[in-house]
Amino acid sequence: MIQVILKRLLMLIPVLIGITLIGFMLLQVMPGDPASRAMGTRASPEELAAMRRLWGLDQPLWVQYLYFLRDCVTGSFGVSIFHKVPVIALVAERLPFTLGIVAYSTLIALVVALPFAILAALKRGTAVDGAIRQVFVALIAMPPFWLCYVLILWLALGQGWFPTGGVGQGVVQNIYRLFLPALVVGLSTAALIQQSLRAALIDTLKADYVDTARAKGLTGAQVFLRHVLPNSLISTISIIGVRVSWIIGGTVVVEKIFSVPGLGSLLIDAIVARDLPVIRGLTVFFAILVVIVNLITDICYALADPRVRLE
Amino acid sequence: MTRLTFRALLLASTLSCAAFGAQAETLRVAMGYDPVSLDPIATSDNGSIWTQLLIFDTLVRPDASGEKLEPGLAESWTVSDDGLTISFALRDAKFSDGTPVTAEDVKFSIERAASKESSWGRFYRPITSFDIPDPHHIVMHLAQPFTPAFNNLALFAAAILPKAQVEAKGAAFFDAPVGSGPFVLRQWTRGASIELTKNPYYWQKGKPAVDEAVLEVVTEPSARVIKLEAGEVDVALDPPLNQLKELKAKPGITTGEVIPYRADFVQLNTRYAPLGNEKVRQALNYAIDKSALIKGVLYGEGKPAASAMPVMAYADPDLKPYPYDPAKAKALLAEAGYPDGFEAEMLVNSGIATQRNTAIALQAMLAQVGVKLKIQMLENGTQWSTTKAGNYQMSLSYATSDTIDPDQIIGFVAVNPERANAYHTEWKNERLNELYAQERQTVNGPERGAMFREMIQILHDGAPFIYLYHPATAWAEKDYVKGFSVLPTSNFRLEDVTIQK
Repeated sequence: MIQVILKRLLMLIPVLIGITLIGFMLLQVMPGDPASRAMGTRASPEELAAMRRLWGLDQPLWVQYLYFLRDCVTGSFGVSIFHKVPVIALVAERLPFTLGIVAYSTLIALVVALPFAILAALKRGTAVDGAIRQVFVALIAMPPFWLCYVLILWLALGQGWFPTGGVGQGVVQNIYRLFLPALVVGLSTAALIQQSLRAALIDTLKADYVDTARAKGLTGAQVFLRHVLPNSLISTISIIGVRVSWIIGGTVVVEKIFSVPGLGSLLIDAIVARDLPVIRGLTVFFAILVVIVNLITDICYALADPRVRLE
Repeated sequence: MTRLTFRALLLASTLSCAAFGAQAETLRVAMGYDPVSLDPIATSDNGSIWTQLLIFDTLVRPDASGEKLEPGLAESWTVSDDGLTISFALRDAKFSDGTPVTAEDVKFSIERAASKESSWGRFYRPITSFDIPDPHHIVMHLAQPFTPAFNNLALFAAAILPKAQVEAKGAAFFDAPVGSGPFVLRQWTRGASIELTKNPYYWQKGKPAVDEAVLEVVTEPSARVIKLEAGEVDVALDPPLNQLKELKAKPGITTGEVIPYRADFVQLNTRYAPLGNEKVRQALNYAIDKSALIKGVLYGEGKPAASAMPVMAYADPDLKPYPYDPAKAKALLAEAGYPDGFEAEMLVNSGIATQRNTAIALQAMLAQVGVKLKIQMLENGTQWSTTKAGNYQMSLSYATSDTIDPDQIIGFVAVNPERANAYHTEWKNERLNELYAQERQTVNGPERGAMFREMIQILHDGAPFIYLYHPATAWAEKDYVKGFSVLPTSNFRLEDVTIQK
């Protein structure tokens, strides 16, 4: 197992080299120039050139690329042009919030989706199943920004149960403050999980080994918990894996509305300012996270289903 | 832990809580920008500049009207008749660590602002040398008369920093900066908030009135308003203009607005055949119903523009915007040889809703006089590089002034050749160029004012732009907040703000 993990981590290297190349090249064709962003439209060409020199943007491309590789290897991922801080320091400030949303929303998703998936599968074809499906399809269809504002207006501004946004100090305060944003992200994850888990459960319930287990004399609950549920969770695990990779950089709208300083808004702000080192550094960092998430997903497969071997 | 220390701790924490509850009065402001750095020479974004101006002082600073300068760290000053020397007498001020502000600190800070590392070097390079007769006086020398140099000292980039500390700490200084301004940085959580406490050594005795100020970064405009309504902040900057009316009607909330130094217009490339004709350009100006535009696009929060110059010092209150007169526009077009109008393409920044809406309104208004406008949506950077290269016909744009002196912006939008060839319209007027060269060497006063007024009149008549509007900047606050306002320079001061609950 450990060997397999090490092997997978080694495979990161070619993936990352590819990512750095693509990330670097894409930025070269992106219009807009950080110097004119920083100095405004009124700067003279000489001043702009001087600023680019200061930031090393006048170097040949391959030299800039090698500097970038060096920064990735040394772990700083480059230094932000505007913040004047290593990219890794910017990431470190925001990573806890992003990981917090990832974990929190996934937990909420499981708490919401599991019972309803099980209920729908056991009562398949009935009015209960239909009603559950309607609700979860509606959840998939709901645009997150809309749900954000509905929750803010209702639970924060109306009832006063939660703050309307922002983060606090420490874990306990943030469990409270991040509830609404995590709920928005979690509900759309829940909608995805519920649909696929219900289908998987129904398939598994029809399997021969389930009949065998029943014939052995196990009770309904024992059959369900020991045989049906674990065998149906594979699809759920892959959905969570894909969702987690997406949530890490893709929840900008939720972050902006709830004023959560996450990695997604760091990336968007960097793109707007043309802070090239931050965009590049974050691209590589996201790639590393996605590979790690995929690895964890594969390990979870193996744990859930002994037939799956890590290779 | 022994019982004794536990009790001591308990007592201490109770006491500190009590002390905290009794005195600390905090003003919370929701702003839309996330500051990137507190180094004044390295930044150009609003969030950074606004925060710096709360922590650092400048020698002189714009007064509340934004039209003239008032004393800052300098108590008084004199400018020599030839405009070559500026002498400052510094007040008895201290940095937030208790060390005095000296002439050496001033010299160091201005030299740093003029250095290669500075984004604002061109503003300070005209100052060529310094004399320091004693720690409370500094004399600045210029090689040639350059009137705007004095005004530039009021800009954030010329903030006075403690020399010894910046030299010792380098870039790290700006993570925990020490300034002589009303507030001191207590904690900066990037992307979330800036927490400030009052500077005990601030030179305006008894100020600031509040003990603490928190700038919360809330980039989503609607979220800032919601935070204000929920009572999580006391002031919300830049609420969405379409929510202002509704906000004004809410109990406990008041709003305010100011016209900052900004003018919105359409750049007309005078190298493109129809637009090279002055009559055509004037016709386009007559064809625009500015009050409808302001009502429809800005929700009434703005003023019509008479030229590409913001409403600022030396502006001519008698200069009227082009009136809405489609008949006259048609007549002028016919006179110029375009009785059936013409076609033109206009570049528009796709990222800003107001710009998109304005573009669509302009398209409809110009169609009334036969001018068919094709709208080309572009990313901001591409729009800028395209106009700069001259590969355009029209471009919807705006200009803002960094300083309170109109020299900077008129050089940019009206003078050719200068920085931008009249903002890439390639329009040229020799008389205006002459006046520009003179104005820069004329001491501040009515004579210099008359030069600006003449230049602006020439710019108005020559019409290398379609002049549109000066959009307002608004804020909303709880009614217990007294003394808060956004200045025409678009920043805000907090030392006079009180909370009267």
